[in-house]
Amino acid sequence: MAEREVTWGPRGSHTLIGKEVSRIDGVEKASGAAKYTNDMNQPGTLFARLLTCTHAKAKVTRLNVDKAKAIAGVHTVYLFKDIGENAECNYDGELVAAVAAETADIAEDGVRAIEVAYEVLPHVVDEQDLEAARAAKRLKYDDDGKEVPLVDRTVGDPDKAIADADVVHTGYYGIHTISHMCLEPHGAHCTWDESGDGPKLTARHSTQAVSTTGPQFASQFGLDASDVRVICNYIGGGFGSKFAADIWGWAAAQMSKDTGRPVRLMLDRATELKTPGTRPSGFANVTVAATKDGKITAWKSHHWGTNGPQGGTIDGNQMPYVFDPPNKHVVSQGIATDCGPNRAWRAPNHPQLCAITDTALTDLAAKLNMSPVDLYKANLDQLDDTAKENSKLYAAELDRAAELMEWEKKWHAHGKGGNGPVKRGLGVALHRWGGQSVKCSSEVRIFADGGAQASIGSQDLGTGTRTVIAMVLAETCGLPLEKVKARLGSNEYVYGNPSGGSITVGSVTGATRRAALEATGILFDKVAEKYKVDAKTLSLGDEAVWSDKKKVCSWKDACRLIGPEPITATGPSPVADGLTSKLVGGVQMADVSVDTETGVIRINRMVAVQDCGLVINEKTAKSQVYGGLIMGIAYATNEERIMDNNSGRYINADMETYKLPRIGDIGELIVEFYQPDSEYNRGVVGLGEPPVISTGAAIANAVANATGVRVPVLPMTPKRVLDALAQA
Amino acid sequence: MRDFEYEAPTTLANAIAVLAKNNGSARPLAGGTDLIDHVRCGRLEPDVVVDVKKIDELNVLELNDSGLRLGAATPCYRIYGCPEISQQYAALTDSCRIIGGIQIQSRASVGGNICNSGPAADSTPSVIVLGGICVIEGPGGRREVPAEEFCTGPGKNVLKPGELLVEIKFPARPANSGSHYRRFIPRNEMDIAVVGVGASVVLDDSKENIVSARVALGAVAPTPLYVPAVGDAIAGQPANEDTLRKAGAVAKELVTPITDMRGTAEYRVHLTGVLTERVLQAAISRARGEAICTKIGH
Ligand SMILES: Cc1cc2nc3c(=O)[nH]c(=O)nc-3n(C[C@H](O)[C@H](O)[C@H](O)COP(=O)(O)OP(=O)(O)OC[C@H]3O[C@@H](n4cnc5c(N)ncnc54)[C@H](O)[C@@H]3O)c2cc1C
Repeated sequence: MAEREVTWGPRGSHTLIGKEVSRIDGVEKASGAAKYTNDMNQPGTLFARLLTCTHAKAKVTRLNVDKAKAIAGVHTVYLFKDIGENAECNYDGELVAAVAAETADIAEDGVRAIEVAYEVLPHVVDEQDLEAARAAKRLKYDDDGKEVPLVDRTVGDPDKAIADADVVHTGYYGIHTISHMCLEPHGAHCTWDESGDGPKLTARHSTQAVSTTGPQFASQFGLDASDVRVICNYIGGGFGSKFAADIWGWAAAQMSKDTGRPVRLMLDRATELKTPGTRPSGFANVTVAATKDGKITAWKSHHWGTNGPQGGTIDGNQMPYVFDPPNKHVVSQGIATDCGPNRAWRAPNHPQLCAITDTALTDLAAKLNMSPVDLYKANLDQLDDTAKENSKLYAAELDRAAELMEWEKKWHAHGKGGNGPVKRGLGVALHRWGGQSVKCSSEVRIFADGGAQASIGSQDLGTGTRTVIAMVLAETCGLPLEKVKARLGSNEYVYGNPSGGSITVGSVTGATRRAALEATGILFDKVAEKYKVDAKTLSLGDEAVWSDKKKVCSWKDACRLIGPEPITATGPSPVADGLTSKLVGGVQMADVSVDTETGVIRINRMVAVQDCGLVINEKTAKSQVYGGLIMGIAYATNEERIMDNNSGRYINADMETYKLPRIGDIGELIVEFYQPDSEYNRGVVGLGEPPVISTGAAIANAVANATGVRVPVLPMTPKRVLDALAQA
Repeated sequence: MRDFEYEAPTTLANAIAVLAKNNGSARPLAGGTDLIDHVRCGRLEPDVVVDVKKIDELNVLELNDSGLRLGAATPCYRIYGCPEISQQYAALTDSCRIIGGIQIQSRASVGGNICNSGPAADSTPSVIVLGGICVIEGPGGRREVPAEEFCTGPGKNVLKPGELLVEIKFPARPANSGSHYRRFIPRNEMDIAVVGVGASVVLDDSKENIVSARVALGAVAPTPLYVPAVGDAIAGQPANEDTLRKAGAVAKELVTPITDMRGTAEYRVHLTGVLTERVLQAAISRARGEAICTKIGH
């Protein structure tokens, strides 16, 4: 076979790669033609509704479903809890039962008809009050019952370094729990059918992991993995919370098995907010010390927070974030609360680590009368092990972000944001991420009629995965985008990685490039033989095969040589061949106005300068950064889970009071990729998560710069802004 | 959701007859932007829903020398779509422009907003300060109630079973007058008021002094609250910063807000002062013929 060199080819040689290409499924999505799990409505589908626990901690003492079952149109009731071993409910919103009925309204009637009673137990839902958690014995203890931290790590001699330092800053910082708030809630449409020789269970599941949830359904029901088909062509948000088959997926499958009818079970909005995942909180006392020219010499922090019943908090091993001074002492403690459990949330740990570290560093800079940009630059030689590799990037990205923000012109010293009630200021923060591709395959087929397709058991989270697969296939085959097919969303295709960790774009494009190069290499052999040319000289472009710039034949003519059996090639990922690599940096800056009479923060402009190696599709990549900034603006300003200490309940679990930003809250977003040739040459690195990391800290720092007052805890709601101003 | 019957009478008499016949278990439907939600979530369980949008009297929108007639079912977009109303009854159109988004404004009515009787309703303070009179018709005939007396508690009002709000009448605007409504929400748009303030002022011919003023507050009491003491405190005073500060201080004394997740009582009291000053300032500017920034969220 004609060996084709595995590279992306020289920069500038592409018709598609690196360009701004609209999503190939954009029209379907915008017009509503795209069918999500929530739209699945096969004939005969039963609709499920949920009964959930209304207490933070309770034991089910009575659970009678007879009246529900007696309602005309109710087909089955599924129990997540019982009054035996499985009676304990550990948070408001935990699933108790599901009713499947002919219509959603009847299912709701069924839920109302369930007789349930609880023995209510004492609860703790406060994530910020460490003393209360201590009194309630909700921390971590050793075998002797002695309180022990989750992390207690010392490097060097921080106390001495602090005593010797020119400047020491001490502060309190924090960030509250948020929920994932997927626009399309979690859920599945399951069809159990043992009649044919097809898979017994088809789960149309809203999932980030098409290829790996099948076995989770299979083992639950004693099926072979090959007996479960998982389909997810479109998904309305996951953010790290949709990797599992989940107990509600199993419930839908069981109810379908019991009734012989397809069953659709989607979480209702309140349950969606309460149950399938949250981002853990963290609150910290920080001391940071530096020399007078801004070299950080020591970091001490003690943080606590919650990730729900497990009693975790944000990862103390990664504190402080990005910067790694020679002396440090980090302690972390987790509070076991009777709140919904956590799940990975876009860049797990990083936004919170950044919101604690970069805010403290900006306050340190203020104390040094330094711009935080200069403070960062003074410390680029002491970065943590993963950030270290990108130290040169940060310098360049800080400079570019400063240009886009007009930092030199607009920046002023801490608290000099104007004389009127509305103050204006700038802030900066930076981040790091991994983004290395992982195991994934792509199967490319080229047919005798010229058709070409790539298929992967992957999923498009809305990030444009389908589009980048098609772009790489089309580029490699020298075809226009609309002449190739990219198929994903089914576990019947070759294995695709679960989409988490910003690994998908590298995984699917690397695999597809390799498969397409191999498949076209086979095609070149056929062309070489027929047209008597040297296969090594061949290339593709403009729907034709070329030999040293001379057209040999059209793509169609070449494909006619294939015969009835399509050329099939499967490309693996990752391979150390330069198509993909790992580690990104990224810098963000914020320009905000703060109304010191009402406490409202307005975002004037956000700048994000992001590297991610070789950019396959500049348009979807930019979208990813816009989305990151918007999510960051959300958790910086108003988005939070509000737990009521008295009732133990999650009281803002709806779209009205769980405050996500409106379009008018977003401000101007400027996104630029840092992509000199050195970045292109790194190959593809993932981008999904990093853009959300430093947004919160950058905004918080801009508020501090505007007002001269640190609003210590995110989100900086108007109330918290006014409280901080009043206390200053 | 409970099943219900739907009726769409085309005359006022028929509508009242249907309402009266069902004796409290019928519910008028204007834009439905509150009602449908309340029925879906089970807060209201009417047996009959009576669509009132097809009745001429409830759709009047008439501006003449004696004032403005606003049919109870007239949707917001028609109200702010009329430049003369936007100019003369600016507080009312300020309200109509911020109730929900475009889709909501295409259906939602001021009548529905008042009859829903939420403490945070965005049009009620404006209707009060502009001197709106609610014209009510029922089996017992027609009666008129000043807007400030219409709401009696959260979700409660003076309507008796079988009665319908037909229209709201506003007196003609005096010379040298201006009005404004603004609410505080943490976000830019599409949110429920933490505090809302409506104000109308009349200046003297020099436009330097306040002749009279009416102020009403939303979301700080069980009902939208008319606060005549604020107007009394600044009537006859120069239209300057000191006077505005006084107005804000008086307003803060009068409110009895609750603490909920949208804001603590203390915070709402503070905002009442800030917003009262800002809204009065804007109303004064308008009375002077100056343009104000009405961009949402500013
Ligand atoms: C997405 C969304 C956003 C919203 N944003 C806002 C906002 O920003 N500010 C705000 O104040 N409100 C807001 N609302 C609430 C609602 O839109 C307003 O209260 C609106 O003015 C109600 O008018 P309507 O014509 O839709 O009333 P309907 O829903 O038709 O009726 C409301 C209530 O009044 C009764 N009623 C209606 N007409 C009459 C009548 N003529 N006589 C007697 N009773 C009557 C009905 O039975 C019902 O109980 C919002 C609602 C939604 C869904």
